[in-house]
Amino acid sequence: MNLFNALRYGWNVNVLGPAVLRLQRWQAQRRPARWDTRYLAPPLRIAPRTKELVARHWLAGRYANGYRKVAWVTSGAPVELLKALDFYVLYPENHAAICGTARVAVDIASEAESAGYSRDLCSYARTDIGAVLSGKTPVGHLPKPDVLFACTNICQTVLFWYRVLAEYFGAPLVLIDTPFVYTEEAAEHAVRYVRRQLEEAVPILERIAGKRLDERKLRQVGLLSKRASELWLEILQRCRHRPAPISVFDQFIQMAPIVEMRGDPETVDFYAALLKEVDERIATGIGAVKNERQRVLWDNLPIWYRLRYLAEFLAQHGVAVVASTYTNAWGELAPLIDPDDLWESMARTYIYPILNRGTGHKLRTMQQMVKEYQLDGAILHSDRSCKPYSIGQMDQRDRLIRELGVPALLLEADHNDFRVFAEEQVATRLAAFVEMLG
Amino acid sequence: MASTPTIPSRTETIRAWKEQGGAIAAVLPIHHPRALLRAFGLLPVEVWGPPRVDPAPGAAHLQPYVCSIVGNALSFLLRDGLEVADVILVPHACDSLQGLGSLLLDFVRPRQPVFPLYIPRGRRESDLQFLADECRALYDKLAAATGRTPSEAELMESIRREEEADGLLAELYRRRRTLPLTDLAFYRLARAREYLPAEEFAALLRAVLDTPPTDPSAGLPILLSGIVPEPMGLLDAITQMGGVVVADDLACCGRRLYPPGTSTAPFRRMAERILNAPPDPTRGSPIAERLRHLMGMARETGARGVVFYDVKFCEPELFDLPLLRRRLQEAGLPSVHIEVDLNDPLSGQILTRVEAFLEMVAHQTPEEGHR
Repeated sequence: MNLFNALRYGWNVNVLGPAVLRLQRWQAQRRPARWDTRYLAPPLRIAPRTKELVARHWLAGRYANGYRKVAWVTSGAPVELLKALDFYVLYPENHAAICGTARVAVDIASEAESAGYSRDLCSYARTDIGAVLSGKTPVGHLPKPDVLFACTNICQTVLFWYRVLAEYFGAPLVLIDTPFVYTEEAAEHAVRYVRRQLEEAVPILERIAGKRLDERKLRQVGLLSKRASELWLEILQRCRHRPAPISVFDQFIQMAPIVEMRGDPETVDFYAALLKEVDERIATGIGAVKNERQRVLWDNLPIWYRLRYLAEFLAQHGVAVVASTYTNAWGELAPLIDPDDLWESMARTYIYPILNRGTGHKLRTMQQMVKEYQLDGAILHSDRSCKPYSIGQMDQRDRLIRELGVPALLLEADHNDFRVFAEEQVATRLAAFVEMLG
Repeated sequence: MASTPTIPSRTETIRAWKEQGGAIAAVLPIHHPRALLRAFGLLPVEVWGPPRVDPAPGAAHLQPYVCSIVGNALSFLLRDGLEVADVILVPHACDSLQGLGSLLLDFVRPRQPVFPLYIPRGRRESDLQFLADECRALYDKLAAATGRTPSEAELMESIRREEEADGLLAELYRRRRTLPLTDLAFYRLARAREYLPAEEFAALLRAVLDTPPTDPSAGLPILLSGIVPEPMGLLDAITQMGGVVVADDLACCGRRLYPPGTSTAPFRRMAERILNAPPDPTRGSPIAERLRHLMGMARETGARGVVFYDVKFCEPELFDLPLLRRRLQEAGLPSVHIEVDLNDPLSGQILTRVEAFLEMVAHQTPEEGHR
């Protein structure tokens, strides 16, 4: 770190940037809602703050090289280690999702496709690799990684993807391999293996960070991570209320901090404020969908480039999407985090994400959500880009229909690549599904 | 050149094994401890698809963007193709095979016990220890399923038998150009490892290796990379087009030339053998390591081009390809990428592409290659 980089970072990230972002927030608060408020509640008051928080995170990344060490990490990685070592943490998946919502993902992914990356590969990976190859990004600039930190608890794709990044950047790749949990309980030797890898990662990360890991700081980060996850879970569970105060489409937007800023104090403050606003909505009878008649579940990743379309289409028919296995994944493991036994609890927490568990476990999670959230149906997004999430959905759909008697729709699409989204076909299938809901 | 030694078919092998009172383990790709299964009297019979299966039964459970190895395996099982098996082993190689294992356990529930096996994605001490523990856990499950408890000495004996067979297979690979085998015959023989008992396979290889060496096979030398050479007619087609496969990096063949282990502890030795095999993206090998491996094979064999022959939707392969191909090209080794579905016949389009590639390589002077 040299003085120029420190001054540049301090000025842009702590002085100028926040002032500009505050101004943008002020303007956003005065801008009329873009989503159709005939059917949907007005946007959450906190929405401009979400945007500001996320923008500030990416702004810090823009000036991180030369000032802070940078880690690129997978969304399910044990980020607490990196936070405790003061890494700037960048999530390529989140960046790809931002590209998806900004509808520039396909343009950026095309750069990767031109370099030979098949369209059959995950569209997040293609977007990210395309951004690396072309420098195109809606967040200004992506800092180069000093380390790549991949955890296989969400898919094996991330390992293949990060091996590519390791070649492009020449950066070391630290892997936390989490054996897939086929049955209800992970084998003890699998948990031991994950714990050992976490411990083995420390000296590598310390060497890159140029500092020793402070166990007290790690505990503090663990506490913040747990608290933010608990708050997130509480917010989601408020949707058991009728009408649901927020929809899954709100959750998709509000989940950015829990993914990319887990372990930061600002994230805890943010979700405390969001919970307060959600409770105010409940107290005043505001529902995310104005005329909530039916409540349904969403399974799998969002279709980032059609959030508004889906939200409005379903709301027009009085359908509120109130629960999701995807957003739930960032809250459901909160009880497992134990700051007083952090190493062991991290090993257990990070081996148990829903994506690292069997197809039967996901069905049981969905069935439980149908009961707890009093759901009338389920939409299972068959995501061409996410095989681990999608394999099993055909049986899960059949079981939901057969065992719980709820209509369930398998919706073919892709989380980031709009070229495989057949709008007319989707509209027809959604209309038929809505009819089945009654 | 002789066409092929007489290789017992899968059906004959399975029947003979069963008649001797043995049991069958149907094993999905890619890596698994054969010695462990054999110690329990189970003959591992691998299921790479199989090709040309009615895909409809599997399509009721799997989306069309899942690879045909996985789709066909499920269809084959649902059509009672695996009825002969007493247990099913599903090693973890990718998200699709993971999904298949999970589907079998949770929804399809075949009558046989299904055992998943997680193969770690590194080669660190922790990976080795984990895989040894995973083999031990599989031992316990097999013991419960079969009622047998092979001793450590029996496990070591089983390992020794497999190591001998794998050693002969490696020798077959080293001497492949001076053996009286066409490419098709070579791969029929090498792939008999997928179902023959190790001792029977070893005897077959000894007979071939004992034949006097012939002149090195003529033709344009190429490397074959990818997953599985199906339809096998591709190999004959390459021969007819003037090519000769001199080495491979196929998941079903060259990536499973397991070296002997060193440990005297059986589970650890099984783990060593799998983790020390040639680079494989499904085991997390870095791309640079695979590139070095391919370049090394090309140098040793004089190969002048690489055919990447993949099953459609294979993520582990697709992620490696752009960098591999670019760097091979920079090193003067051109390549072509072909994707197939296991249910498709060998199409004219594929043959035309291979032929065009071979012609292009043939017109490239050897000096232009291997820079």
